[in-house]
Amino acid sequence: MRNVLIFIMVLCLSDSLAQNKQLLYGLEEVPQSLLLNPGSRVPQKMHFGIPFLSQIHVNGGATGLTVFDIFGESNIDINERIRNKIFEMDNKDFFTATQQLEIINFGWRAKNEIYFSGGVYQEFDFITYFPRDLAILAWEGNRDYLDYPFDLGEVSATADLLTVYHFGANKQITKKLTAGVRVKLYSSMMSIRSTNNQGTFTTTLGDVNSENIYEHTVSNADVTVNTSGIASLEDMESSEIPGEVIGRAFFGGNFGIGADLGVTYDINNRLTASASVLDLGVVFHSNDVETYAATGSYTLDGIELVFPPLSAGQSTLPYYDNLEDEIEAAIPIDTITSGYSQLRPVKFNAALKYSFGKTVGNSSDCDCRNMGGGVERAQAAGVQFYSILRPKGPQMAGTLFYYRRLWDFLSAKATYTVDPYSFSNVGLGVVTDIGKFNFYIAADNLLHYGNLAKAKSVSLQLGFNIKFDEE
Amino acid sequence: MPLSMKTNLLKPLAVVFAGLLLTSCVKDTDFDQADDITLTPVVELDLIYFNIEAGEFYDEITDMPILTLSDTTEIRFLDDTEIQESLRRADFYFRFTNSIPRNFEVDFQFLSEQNDTTYITGTSVIEGTIENPVVTEFEQIIEGDDIVQLTMADRVVVSVTIPDSDPSLEGTLNLKSKTTYYLEIRDRE
Repeated sequence: MRNVLIFIMVLCLSDSLAQNKQLLYGLEEVPQSLLLNPGSRVPQKMHFGIPFLSQIHVNGGATGLTVFDIFGESNIDINERIRNKIFEMDNKDFFTATQQLEIINFGWRAKNEIYFSGGVYQEFDFITYFPRDLAILAWEGNRDYLDYPFDLGEVSATADLLTVYHFGANKQITKKLTAGVRVKLYSSMMSIRSTNNQGTFTTTLGDVNSENIYEHTVSNADVTVNTSGIASLEDMESSEIPGEVIGRAFFGGNFGIGADLGVTYDINNRLTASASVLDLGVVFHSNDVETYAATGSYTLDGIELVFPPLSAGQSTLPYYDNLEDEIEAAIPIDTITSGYSQLRPVKFNAALKYSFGKTVGNSSDCDCRNMGGGVERAQAAGVQFYSILRPKGPQMAGTLFYYRRLWDFLSAKATYTVDPYSFSNVGLGVVTDIGKFNFYIAADNLLHYGNLAKAKSVSLQLGFNIKFDEE
Repeated sequence: MPLSMKTNLLKPLAVVFAGLLLTSCVKDTDFDQADDITLTPVVELDLIYFNIEAGEFYDEITDMPILTLSDTTEIRFLDDTEIQESLRRADFYFRFTNSIPRNFEVDFQFLSEQNDTTYITGTSVIEGTIENPVVTEFEQIIEGDDIVQLTMADRVVVSVTIPDSDPSLEGTLNLKSKTTYYLEIRDRE
């Protein structure tokens, strides 16, 4: 149990609102910003990511809880602190972790002025909502909760490990408008999901007509767990599993398709709007699929003894087996091996950017070849919006940002983000271009870097690329 | 801009940023406390129930009284390793409602898988009438060494003994029962 707890805590330490890369969004110096908006403007002529190092992204977060809340040094007993937290949090609170590792990333501008880009990355994405009622039941038991319907529907979690192959095209269509599209092929290595559950468990004190003291009732249970790529691992030696899973990264597993869409539009030469929709896609799970579904209602009264007249040596009725059979008949747990499809968590980004300060690069206020188009300036500020579709509805974040190109080789972006975790998330990203060598690093929740244990979420992205600028 | 200047500027910046990341740490925490995490749920659960008609204490075929009725049920979870490790206390509560004009002795004998008796308890039930059934409550708190004994059992034999009976005896002996399990669940590696 301890290992599991620490694992969850470490996951939580490792990334903010899953996959909100507010620092990289719109940061055109970083080629990976094309993965956040395929319709972003692309300044370079060609780029390659350094394999396995072009984007390393980790993100972990928990609403309503920090590692410090539980493991901080304190005179209060840890069990008391856990208990207090269980009652403080609600079933909208969640724990999440995301990790991405880019294996390959490349892009080039073709003769027709279309910037093509593609690559492969691996992604792990996990979210679980806090099943408050079940936590209370496990922590306290049912004695003090007679007549309280414990909600089984609070169980809501997904975990996915997959590889994404992607290829996109981006073009400046008019002076003001740049648009792009990216198609994705998902190869799922492992997936587990339990969402849209329902049912209650209630213990009530029986009355005179009741069979026994209590009635323990499971009412309208409908609990489903979808697994893909997991059942076949159960029979394997633990040493064989990593090899098997890695093997699926390349054409094993289950496949899916999806798309990213994005646009950037210059409203005038200072104001730019952009938006993107990412992972508009579906994964079809058909191989190595096991779905467990439990549905039904049942009231447990205990075991009724009937004192059957028995001759010597004769055994009585198998009450316990009968009870188990009765429960299984009332709430059967079916194992279904037919496939299912799973929507990817759709992400939506939007930004409005106001540029100011001196102009940089080749652009100027009066560029006759670029009438009405945006002008690159040394500073910008603006707002961003991010949303990801999760099992219990969208999670949203708003960001204020300030961008500054300090020198030709160095740009920085600072963000202040409000999301379900906190109102104090300050982030900083830095990009350097030294010759053809591009390096970026971005981290948020900097105010908590003094003590990560007190952070509700942490997000980090870094990577190395080779870029060839336009002549 | 000469390359040397770029690297000169970059180095301190990189150092500052890397420093920020590396010095970021998890402070004032004590993960050994995880060893102390203990779940202490208190679980209320129905046990057994029965309704015995007075007529069951008399065999009309042989015209003989049957003075003791007994029956056995498994309680298979009781000797699970998890329960053996975690159960600290169990409060048994039995409520008899008797409308038979006889006192009863009711015994509960807990048996292990090997048929050894690990724990015994029992009570007397006061006589009642059909017009005025009498309720007898019996509580048994089990803790300490007795819990170790109890959790070696996976069955209970219930014996109901009547001092005497005849064919004209009327009424019902009803039992309802529950157990309160006090658990202490922790990592015992």
